[in-house]
Amino acid sequence: MLKFTLAKLARALLTILLVMSFAFIVLRLSGDPAQIMLGPDAPQDAVDAFRARWGLDDPLWQQYLAYLKQIMTFDFGISMRDQSPAIDLVLDRIPATLALTIPALLLKIAIGIPAGIYAALHRESIADRGVIMFAIFGFTIPSFVLGLVLVLIFAVTLGWLPAGGQDGWEYAILPIATMSIGGIGIFARFTRSAMIEVLGQPYIRTAMAKGLPWREVVWKHALPNAAVPIVTLLGFMVGALIAGAVVVESIFSWPGIGRLIVVSVANRDLAVVQCILLVIAASMVMANLLVDFAYGVLDPRLRHGHAAH
Amino acid sequence: MPITRRHTLGLVGATAGSLILPRHIMAQGKRRSVTIAVQKVTNNNTLDIWNEQSNVGERVFFPNLWEGLILRDWMGNQGPVPGLATEWQRLDDKTIELKLRQGVKFHNGDELTADDVVFSFSDERLFAGTEPAGGKTLYAEDFKPQNAKELPAGVPGVARRLWPALRGVEAVDKYTVRFHNATPDMTLEGRLYAFGSQIANRRAWDEAASYAEWAARPITTGPYMVEDFRPDVSLTLVAFDEYWNGRPPLERIRFVEVPEVASRVNGLLSGEYDFACDLPPDQIGAVNGTPGLEVQSSTIWNHRITVFNTQNEILADPLVRRAFSHAIDRQAIVEALWGGETAIPAGLQFDSFSTSDMFVEGWNVPEYDPDLARDLLAQANYKGDAIPYRLLNNYYTNQTPTAQVLVEMWKQVGLNVEIQMKENWDQIYAPEGDKGVRDWSASNLINDPITPLVVQFGPNGEAQQKRDYANDEVNQLCSVMETSVDKAERKRAITRLLEITEREDPAYTVLHQNAVFTGLKSDLKWKAAPAFAMDFRASNWTA
Repeated sequence: MLKFTLAKLARALLTILLVMSFAFIVLRLSGDPAQIMLGPDAPQDAVDAFRARWGLDDPLWQQYLAYLKQIMTFDFGISMRDQSPAIDLVLDRIPATLALTIPALLLKIAIGIPAGIYAALHRESIADRGVIMFAIFGFTIPSFVLGLVLVLIFAVTLGWLPAGGQDGWEYAILPIATMSIGGIGIFARFTRSAMIEVLGQPYIRTAMAKGLPWREVVWKHALPNAAVPIVTLLGFMVGALIAGAVVVESIFSWPGIGRLIVVSVANRDLAVVQCILLVIAASMVMANLLVDFAYGVLDPRLRHGHAAH
Repeated sequence: MPITRRHTLGLVGATAGSLILPRHIMAQGKRRSVTIAVQKVTNNNTLDIWNEQSNVGERVFFPNLWEGLILRDWMGNQGPVPGLATEWQRLDDKTIELKLRQGVKFHNGDELTADDVVFSFSDERLFAGTEPAGGKTLYAEDFKPQNAKELPAGVPGVARRLWPALRGVEAVDKYTVRFHNATPDMTLEGRLYAFGSQIANRRAWDEAASYAEWAARPITTGPYMVEDFRPDVSLTLVAFDEYWNGRPPLERIRFVEVPEVASRVNGLLSGEYDFACDLPPDQIGAVNGTPGLEVQSSTIWNHRITVFNTQNEILADPLVRRAFSHAIDRQAIVEALWGGETAIPAGLQFDSFSTSDMFVEGWNVPEYDPDLARDLLAQANYKGDAIPYRLLNNYYTNQTPTAQVLVEMWKQVGLNVEIQMKENWDQIYAPEGDKGVRDWSASNLINDPITPLVVQFGPNGEAQQKRDYANDEVNQLCSVMETSVDKAERKRAITRLLEITEREDPAYTVLHQNAVFTGLKSDLKWKAAPAFAMDFRASNWTA
């Protein structure tokens, strides 16, 4: 178990280092922040002073080493836009994003998984067809379309909810609904598929043949075995809690981490973008790590290095 | 509840009181607040006029928050009107003296004095030790910082662009200041009401722990003061009732950042916003067609231009550049993409130049003449080689569709122009690879043709610094424009400059004037200025 844990941790750290390095290089190769931030009319003196102030005229390798040294001391740099510490800006925005993504995730789980189980247990019924239709609708409609349609119905036409902003709990309803609908569909479809596959396995037939009650067959034999793909999906969604609301935050003018990413990338606010990517990479890696450990709990064969069949 | 004699007397007293009280006092409790949806509140997350020299900055700063010694007449001809200074006079070609308005209060209660003006143009606040062109800094010893702050790196350069030769400001007495320039300058007054020359409170700067803290809540003299600023989210201004020019008509002005056009329009339709700014022309019909809403359009003091890079082998020949200019049907672009809601200017000139008698009458953009364009290309022996067009995706309104139309118009006369999409300005300016034509805009910052022509295309302008263009005669004429105090000589110089840069050896060609469109509730008694600025002073708001 220790070897398993250490291997996973080492891989997680390597992933974070690769993400940081990739972001560092790509950001610097895709445009000089001085010209972008100061605008097309900026005098050359101002551009030169900006580049000197932020070390942008040093060779790339020197900048990279300085960055690594900074990170080692948990110094995430200063925003070029307003001269605040980058980490403060990022931490300031995370609660707003989590205020959308956590309720949305809970809704996806609370509705999507039971709907998928119900559809699998009532295969070919009207309810099953309904769940499939909803699932396909949910994960095929782009969130920017769905968000605008919801605004048109509930804000513009009915006037029940605000169109955007963040001035109270009612402002979160439409963004959460927009984010949930697609995820509910995905969960329902995955769960249904996993359950149908498990229900067709010989051990389910054996359990039925032994005369176990149907409910017990489902809860004790089908669901635990269907859980592995669902946990994988859950891992992706937990990992995306911080970065998964970029489009929705833009549509609903929600001041979360997604908006900060868009603005910071557009302005090449290097320290802030790097800090955000670091946080996102860390959360994604952490979620994957948890999923790996969950696999070990759900399927002991994985824990001991045997492949699952 | 039984009605007693005391109740009756109270009711009668209240009724009588309401009849006796002046109407304006009764109205004091009734001021409304407005919410304005904008694409961006600020670009750089500060409220510093020198760090936020952008269109979006102009909208939230002027004339509601920041004020200068001389004000721009936002709702009129953009000419100068007295502001924090009541009068001014030239002492000589290099010096101007201004009398400050007495009794003006800053938002922190301090009275405006010469000390604040001196501070607002000091090394500490702006120039960071950079020397003026043609001279040495004056009064440097007066500006020792009490609480040193690190200025954003770009500020001194940006400040020197507007005040290249300012040696310093002298406090003659508590209410009199003198601006000393190193070189003769006809445009000192114009520079005083340009974006950036507004006055900040010195004590607030000294007391702030950092530049970031100060720039999030600058203390100024405007009719509204900062109540709350949440970068990338919102800015709330609240009425400053001690404002020197009367009580502001609104209680609060809240700018909220709504990056998506559809979301701004939806918020306006649902009644959540009173104003929705930065509407694209294709949304005008939808908003105008909704009962209770309207769109106000404003042509602003900014022209869209196409810039030529004369380092390009093909474009080195002025005949080819002239062909580019004559191949453009500007009116078709204005009609098709702007719904006819903007104008084609008289070359790189603005109507406001007439306030300083520097408008060249009879001048115009090159006429649309495809045959002439073809003839010019034949004379230039152009073989149809590709000319690159580095393009940003709608940095300017309608930029991409305009580019597509232009490429087709150029194609009609035989020009082979290839669009290369770029992500940012650094990629547009990158010296690597072939450059050809690119987009730009030119703004009128002071009511003198020194902006934009000299500032953008002169020897220190971006076009020459980026090696797009060079012309010795242009540089000599720019020097005349910058230093001559002979009005007739300057008028001759600008006339000749237009002839060279738009006809003989084109540096650019003007496409059209830019415009902005603001959706609003029809019952609001407010008018859009011919600018990004939104005037919410009493003179532009009738409740």
